[in-house]
Amino acid sequence: MRAVGSSIPRVDARHKVTGEALYPGDIDRPGQLWLRVVFAERPHARIRGIDTSAAMAAPGVVAVFTAADVPNNVYGLNTLDQPVLCGPGAPRGMADADIVRFVGDQVALVVAETETQANSAARLLQIDFEDLPVVSDPLAAMQPGSPLVHGYRDNNVLLEYHVRTGDVEAGFARADVVVEHTYRTGAQEHAYLQPEAGLSYIDALGRIVVVVAGQWVHEDRQQIAHALGLPEDQVVVRYPAIGGAFGGREDMSVQIVLALAAWRLKQRGIDRPVKTIWSRRESIIGHHKRHPSVVSAKWGATRDGKLVAQQVDFTSDCGAYAYTSTKVLGNATLACLGPYVCDNVHVDARTVYTNNVPGGAYRGFGGPQGHFAAELQMDRLAEALGMDPLELRLRNAWHEGSLMATRSVLPAGVTIVPVLERLAAEISGSENGGQSPRPSPQSPVPSPHAPFLTSLDASAGRRLRGTGIACCFKNVGFSLGYRDVCNATVELYGTGEIERVVVRHAAAEVGQGTHTVMAQVAAEVVGVPPEQVELIVQDTAETENSGSVSASRMTFMAGNAIKGAAEQALARWQDEERPAIAHFEYVPRATTPYDKLTGQSDPNITHGYCAQAVEVEVDPDTGHVHVLQVISVNDVGRAINPQQVEGQIEGAVAQSVGWTTHENFVQRDGRVLTDQLSTYLIPTVVDVANVKSVILEIPDPQGPLGARGMAEMPFIPTAPAIVAAVHDATGVWFDEIPLTPERVWRGLRAAAR
Amino acid sequence: MQPFDYVKPNSLEEASALLIEHNGDARLMAGMTDLLIRIERGFFHPRLVVDVKALPGMRDLLVVRNGDLRIGAAVTMNEVALSPTARSGWPLLAEGCQSVASYQLRNRATVGGNVCNASPAADSVPALLCYEASVHIFGTDGDRTLPLAEFITGPGRTALQRGELVTAITVPAPARGAAGKFLKLGRTAVGDISVMNVAVLGWPDKATPSGSQWRIALGSVAPTVIRAPEAERILAANTSMAGIEAAAQAASDASRPIDDIRATAAYRRDMVRVLTRRGVEGVLAEIGEQANR
Repeated sequence: MRAVGSSIPRVDARHKVTGEALYPGDIDRPGQLWLRVVFAERPHARIRGIDTSAAMAAPGVVAVFTAADVPNNVYGLNTLDQPVLCGPGAPRGMADADIVRFVGDQVALVVAETETQANSAARLLQIDFEDLPVVSDPLAAMQPGSPLVHGYRDNNVLLEYHVRTGDVEAGFARADVVVEHTYRTGAQEHAYLQPEAGLSYIDALGRIVVVVAGQWVHEDRQQIAHALGLPEDQVVVRYPAIGGAFGGREDMSVQIVLALAAWRLKQRGIDRPVKTIWSRRESIIGHHKRHPSVVSAKWGATRDGKLVAQQVDFTSDCGAYAYTSTKVLGNATLACLGPYVCDNVHVDARTVYTNNVPGGAYRGFGGPQGHFAAELQMDRLAEALGMDPLELRLRNAWHEGSLMATRSVLPAGVTIVPVLERLAAEISGSENGGQSPRPSPQSPVPSPHAPFLTSLDASAGRRLRGTGIACCFKNVGFSLGYRDVCNATVELYGTGEIERVVVRHAAAEVGQGTHTVMAQVAAEVVGVPPEQVELIVQDTAETENSGSVSASRMTFMAGNAIKGAAEQALARWQDEERPAIAHFEYVPRATTPYDKLTGQSDPNITHGYCAQAVEVEVDPDTGHVHVLQVISVNDVGRAINPQQVEGQIEGAVAQSVGWTTHENFVQRDGRVLTDQLSTYLIPTVVDVANVKSVILEIPDPQGPLGARGMAEMPFIPTAPAIVAAVHDATGVWFDEIPLTPERVWRGLRAAAR
Repeated sequence: MQPFDYVKPNSLEEASALLIEHNGDARLMAGMTDLLIRIERGFFHPRLVVDVKALPGMRDLLVVRNGDLRIGAAVTMNEVALSPTARSGWPLLAEGCQSVASYQLRNRATVGGNVCNASPAADSVPALLCYEASVHIFGTDGDRTLPLAEFITGPGRTALQRGELVTAITVPAPARGAAGKFLKLGRTAVGDISVMNVAVLGWPDKATPSGSQWRIALGSVAPTVIRAPEAERILAANTSMAGIEAAAQAASDASRPIDDIRATAAYRRDMVRVLTRRGVEGVLAEIGEQANR
């Protein structure tokens, strides 16, 4: 049996299922203290002062830390724009660190003997706030006279990108049909199983150790060291088991404050570990969300279905701080055009500061928001042309050698056409004995619901059925001129035969299966069974920088790095080195940033491609939309572990069904109204569609053994395909998601008038 | 979370005395699915939590001599939802109980707790109102029994006096040939609190002009769960399509919903109409089926 291509059990499955795996909140150390973060709980305010005396005097309290205790009170993954703790008095950092910009800004840290004592004392903190005017809508935030979220700036627009290709007016003049619509998508909470938690202590070497869940150990270390004004080698970041991420652990939450508390205590002669566990509510207000977006698109096509003009205006709600907003914007700037050839393109894209919870990384990373508009524009054009939506897509889809709107040739391995063709075959039923997947109205459908329960079951009378399709591309790896790297070390032990393979790699196992994939790639190249591979992972003291588990990059990047290291180690083994050890730094081909005026660039290392068909059922009286089935066709290049690939497809679709139909993150004037999982509902197992995963393996020339990254792309087409299916069922287009029952109910009533 | 003392008394007298002794600082607990959250979030600050589960009769679910179902106040939602007796004799109640939260929570949450919380969204209450259940109360001044409709006096408010506690709920047997439908609108297919719900109970009665009698209760559309008497009257007179529409509209008119994070009042009002119509149609079909057998 080959190691690659087989669905071996995950290397972490046994420990996670038996409960042996320890997540950050499960880990205790002798003598530990408890840390409670005090959040601002107001969207925009100046902190005039903080009186800690009552909290300090409370039973069990060991220390209270404020901004004055932060050596360098500023941090940020890409943009240094956020104080570690809001308030006056820090020796260095942001000049206006005394400003609170969203409800989840952290103000103080109360450290006590017990969790209860820390919580009680936290309520005794006297914070003197002066409330400031709140701006909570990105379009309003762009208006002259809007309150400024960051006072030193001229306006709230953090960044703008422009694409100017061809002559869009000439394109519209040639067009036989033009469609113009404005699309809106909502924020989305990651809702990972494990809320933020962690532990920090000083080790025997005097280093600050932070045990926490994240997505990039080395970046976490860098940000902690920066805020503490320490050299990086004085900080160790170690990830134990991680309870999900989905982009939600890209940015700092508890990392810096835990390290700060442990280090300041040590300076006061208190050498005790510090632990914290956030509640679900703290997690929801305290970490970023998928960016809400407003996208206006005007597209034109000729009668024979050729796209001749794409004009798009894209705005995302950055929230209070940048987080990854600029990078998400970079992706969305191209995603809003879809995987299509068009000679005349005009894009203006921007991300705008508001006093909302920050927008940031979430599976898809701008791809879902951009494609939501792009794919629905294709459907509107197909409708206007009287053309089959899939046919229209095929007529405009990228081919090998096509130019992107940025005037660069697409990365080799362009497979959107075979992906769409396979979807067409799945729909037309080469898999279903020639039957269309659309059942006749009379055909019984097994109800996914328990008997006599809720919404759709209540609607036994009238249900409407519809189908829709959509497709997408997703960049793999960091884009737009970022120098992406990934390090790996492979060590071969034994005498005659290789008995043991050790892989050192920093990649975070966030549930996606990357450690299993790494073991499989190493085993394949070295030629041993995967059980012989031992992993030393996600620890800055033991591994070198491997980059983030994001951008669908880790299979691609780690695969190439481990393959490189394993090949070199094997060569040394053959040269009789014992042990044979090789280190490899994989650097993919260089990309380039957008030209400021025209957007010209070579933006992405490579792409993955996906297309989906969706069938929905709509209750026209209650407005409930139930997604019955999704066919997802995915070119993954090479499925290292097919079961894990299927898991990613099903998980992505489930998460996207949630974004599209259930999950309604409500903020009013910067305050979060859905701050619990009882008010922010995610789909249950009975709400999620049946998913048919179709895996294509058309090798990516740059991919390790041909593999492409794939874990984000199945999220992307689901939303526009659902909207198209709802239109097919009801005759009504919905340009805004989530499709809450009430929104659908209103839309159907408005259309009936 | 503020610490509190926990006590598990063995007699009703002891429980009642504790409530009086710790006037206002003691809370009764059964399943603790609501109480614990409220303590944790700082809405309640009890010094003492009094566990009623060991009190005599509290865990009994049985049919008493006159055919009524007697539900001890600490009987869990799952015990009712999965009870063959309840499912065959009081299916509307079993459905209501089964729709609550998740399986794990239903193993803890109790019918007595659901009633005493007096939430307008309590999923067992619409069925209990349709069956015209009564609530048995123990107090130092003696036992008393109140109709459920009088026991719940407002959102989160009941008729319980100082030192009193609910021991059981009795649910009269429905009329012969009765059928019921509990329709709950949630944001997810299972697990959600009711955006709104409707319980419909009907049974054949040759003495009425339409040939059937009706009870309809509406949840999450008023400060308490309410009956829709006008809708019931209309159906007793007429169960034609026009009668059903008129009854559904009357139920909608009886509702007094609010806007909240889950839905607007306008949506809820229309859903009362939609689900009442579906509930009545479903019950009629079942009654008709039984009549044809």
